[in-house]
Amino acid sequence: MPGSDLFTGSLDILILKALSWGPLHGYAIGRWIRQTTSEVLAVQEGALYPALHRLERKGLLEEEWGLTETNREAKFYRLTPAGRKQLKQEAARWREYSRVMTIALDAVRA
Amino acid sequence: MKRTFRLPNRAHRVSRDVNRELELHLDLRAREFEAQGMTPEAARRAALEAFGDREAIEDEVRSIRESTVRERQYHDWLDELRQDVIVGLRGLTRSPGFTIVALLTLAIGIGANTAIFSVLRSVVLRPLPYTNPDQLVQVWSDYRARGRETPEWLTPPDFADWRDQNRTFVGMAAYQGWGPDLTGDGEPETVGGLIVSGNFFDVLRAKPAFGRALTMQDDDPGTEPVVVLSDALWRRRFGADSSILGRRITLNGTPWTVIGVLEPGFRAPIQAAAPDLYRAMRRPADSRCGRGCVVLRVIGRMRPGVSVAAAQADLARIAERVAREYPSTNADVGVWLIPLHEQLTGSVRRPLLALTGAVAIVLLIGCVNLANLLLVRGAAREREIAVRAALGARRARIVRQLVTENGLLALTGGALGLALGVAGSRVLGVLVPESVRRVQEIRFDATVMSFTAAMTIIAGLAFGLLPAMRAVRGNLIGSLRDARASTSSHTTLGKGLVILQLSLAVVLLFGAGLLLRSFLAMQRVDLGYRTEGVAFASIAFPQARYREPTRFSAATDDLLARLRANPAVRAVELTDLPPLTPNDQDVSVVPLGRPVSDRTPAVWYRSVTPGYLSLMRMRLVAGRQFTTAETQGAPQVGIINEEAARQLWPGENAVGRAVSLGAPNEPPLTIVGVVASGLHDGPNQPTKPEFFAPQAQFPTRFITMVLEPSRDLAAVGAAVRQALREVDPLIPAPALEPIEQRVGDAVALPRLYAILVGLFATAALSLAALGVYGVMAYTVAQRRREIGVRVALGADPAGIRRLVLGRGARLAAAGLVVGLAGALALGRLIQALLFGVSPFDAATLLAVPVVLGGMTILASWVPARRAMRLDPVSALRED
Repeated sequence: MPGSDLFTGSLDILILKALSWGPLHGYAIGRWIRQTTSEVLAVQEGALYPALHRLERKGLLEEEWGLTETNREAKFYRLTPAGRKQLKQEAARWREYSRVMTIALDAVRA
Repeated sequence: MKRTFRLPNRAHRVSRDVNRELELHLDLRAREFEAQGMTPEAARRAALEAFGDREAIEDEVRSIRESTVRERQYHDWLDELRQDVIVGLRGLTRSPGFTIVALLTLAIGIGANTAIFSVLRSVVLRPLPYTNPDQLVQVWSDYRARGRETPEWLTPPDFADWRDQNRTFVGMAAYQGWGPDLTGDGEPETVGGLIVSGNFFDVLRAKPAFGRALTMQDDDPGTEPVVVLSDALWRRRFGADSSILGRRITLNGTPWTVIGVLEPGFRAPIQAAAPDLYRAMRRPADSRCGRGCVVLRVIGRMRPGVSVAAAQADLARIAERVAREYPSTNADVGVWLIPLHEQLTGSVRRPLLALTGAVAIVLLIGCVNLANLLLVRGAAREREIAVRAALGARRARIVRQLVTENGLLALTGGALGLALGVAGSRVLGVLVPESVRRVQEIRFDATVMSFTAAMTIIAGLAFGLLPAMRAVRGNLIGSLRDARASTSSHTTLGKGLVILQLSLAVVLLFGAGLLLRSFLAMQRVDLGYRTEGVAFASIAFPQARYREPTRFSAATDDLLARLRANPAVRAVELTDLPPLTPNDQDVSVVPLGRPVSDRTPAVWYRSVTPGYLSLMRMRLVAGRQFTTAETQGAPQVGIINEEAARQLWPGENAVGRAVSLGAPNEPPLTIVGVVASGLHDGPNQPTKPEFFAPQAQFPTRFITMVLEPSRDLAAVGAAVRQALREVDPLIPAPALEPIEQRVGDAVALPRLYAILVGLFATAALSLAALGVYGVMAYTVAQRRREIGVRVALGADPAGIRRLVLGRGARLAAAGLVVGLAGALALGRLIQALLFGVSPFDAATLLAVPVVLGGMTILASWVPARRAMRLDPVSALRED
């Protein structure tokens, strides 16, 4: 993914996760990712938008135009059922991955 | 506040949305920085920096977004189409009667149009199968100034002058018919051939499949005699042997070397049977045959950019000079150029165009019918549509739904029509005489397919769009309240359409009537000779073995004697040219003492045995028949027909007159009899002046046996074969051709045209009847209440019936008036196709209203009866 240092696919999962509580616009998604990952992962904020539009194209997200708290028209994203399913699968995969990695890295010489 | 997914159908809308989204991000992010204490400018810069390469990202997002939107629009479109198709199919299957009638109407209409168009396209519209065919013209002599209405062949010296002195032709080639006997390699066989000038293939720009074509060198009598074979003969006779080049074959007893084989697709530019082989003329064009002997057919290729008129003027200039130089032969001999395409296909152009028009009318009536049925259906569905509109369907969406439904009908009908058209095209191939089909083969090509597709679309629009537009016009919600609000305008439009149908049907009926009467008139014509019970068989004694007249006249006598001895043959006589033969030969008959003037009428020449005229039942009107006493050495005699007598000795007695044939130095002969004029070329051709000579005095190598069988034709065929084998086993056995077949062939095309237009008219009438029925039934249904009131008030049922029938009659009358005006215009257009009947034929003019009236009454009868039996109580209780 150009302009991103994230592990391949991790941005996608974070987006899906961010939307799991309800529709958000792009900025709010980005802010949530920055805050929850303690800004470790976010390097180029703009990279969020191609990712959002790709997920929308794949049918994992759908758009919805609405107003921000400051009454500006904004494009909100919402998980589709397919997106929700994807989140579940990907999250399980990441958990398994990180569990195995943790075990491997914590291992002591036998 | 939410909006559902929008369809930004323009690229700038995508850009705007993307820009807005990113701008919002940057604004909000800058505000975050500001909250941390930055100045607005620094905050903005920080936001941009955190964002990354804004331009690259925006581009990327925009391109993703564009493809998303495109895909979605496409999906939505497909979804809607699928819905429309499902709804449409449901609608069509719900009313199977309507669907079947509509599909049949379309299939027959489109099928018939496709079939006729395929013939028109193949024959008239497709260019001839030669390179730059528009440059090719048939070159004729024009004797119209001498009272000869048909174009004439050229004399060899005229051909040489025209060929050598013109400035407008690339080349000019001459050809003559040739029918040599091919012997050796299997059964003897008479093959068809052409004797051509060496540049013939060059003028046509035709290349052989292998070997070489003829060239100008081959015209030199000193060179080896060579022939070029057609692909057909090469395959049939020589088993497609590729080592044929250089082989000698025997034609009329002399050897000829094969130098080339033509492409299978090569077509000789003639209407006669396709030639099997070609040889060069091999003699200077001006030898032996002078300026009095019209023997050459000529085809020319004009220089690029030269018009037929310019070429005509160029040759006319030469012809005038020749006429001044040789006034005795060439005075008043002009030039007559006919474009080759017209020459070869002109005879069928007009009938095919007429048929195309007729069949288009059938489709038009069919479409009008469908439009009408759809209007009625549309009226019935107004509530359904109003409900859908009330539920929020857009107007365009409803129109699209209706158009899809009609499109389904049109497409299915078009597919069925295409299948019918392919089949019909084969059948209708016979519309075109074989002579034309030989050059312009009837095929189904991409143009015909496109025509069918275009017609399907036009038909779909024609019958579908109007009702669809109408269905959503005006106040949709209003019609939910009162379904009857717009019914009166429905019926007005419907009636207009029915009147249109009726008038078109009248036009076709009238045309069919005229053609039918023409055909009947043609059949009633007395041809002036026997038309049943005899058969013809033609042979030729090849020149190589029958050089002297005594040889072939002895062989002829021998053959005749053997046939007469055979019990299977009741009678046999000979002629050199039986009636209804396409080719003909003429001779100058000059009354003795009268100078050979240019005005000497051409008289058509037949050499016959003494019993021929009575066997053919040609009526003698003066003088006597030939007798067996007229032999070589006896005083020469001749018989002429009334037409020749009228032209040569108007108002005088012809019997006993002395004439000479051709040149004045020929020995004179005496006219001994006059026979009634016959129509040698068929019922729709002019009467020709004819001269009959006794075969014994004027023997010929080409003879046609006229055979009357004792029992059956098969036995006669066997007798001919046996006799011929005994006389000369090398002469191929001829086919027997019953005269009935020739007579039938002569009227085959007029009969076919009459049948086809009759069929089209029947179809048109049936469709129009359906239209009348539809409108009457609808009117009765709409006026149930009114009729109910009338019945309740004691109206007489017969009066109700009269009311309905009267309405039908009024429609018919209107259709008749409009239609007859069109029909009279049409009559003039097809005048050339008519025979023995005026384009304003009174009988047809009277018959059409009767047929139309009868049909209208029949079509209104059922609705009228329904109205009559209406139960007033239930009619009034409705709604």
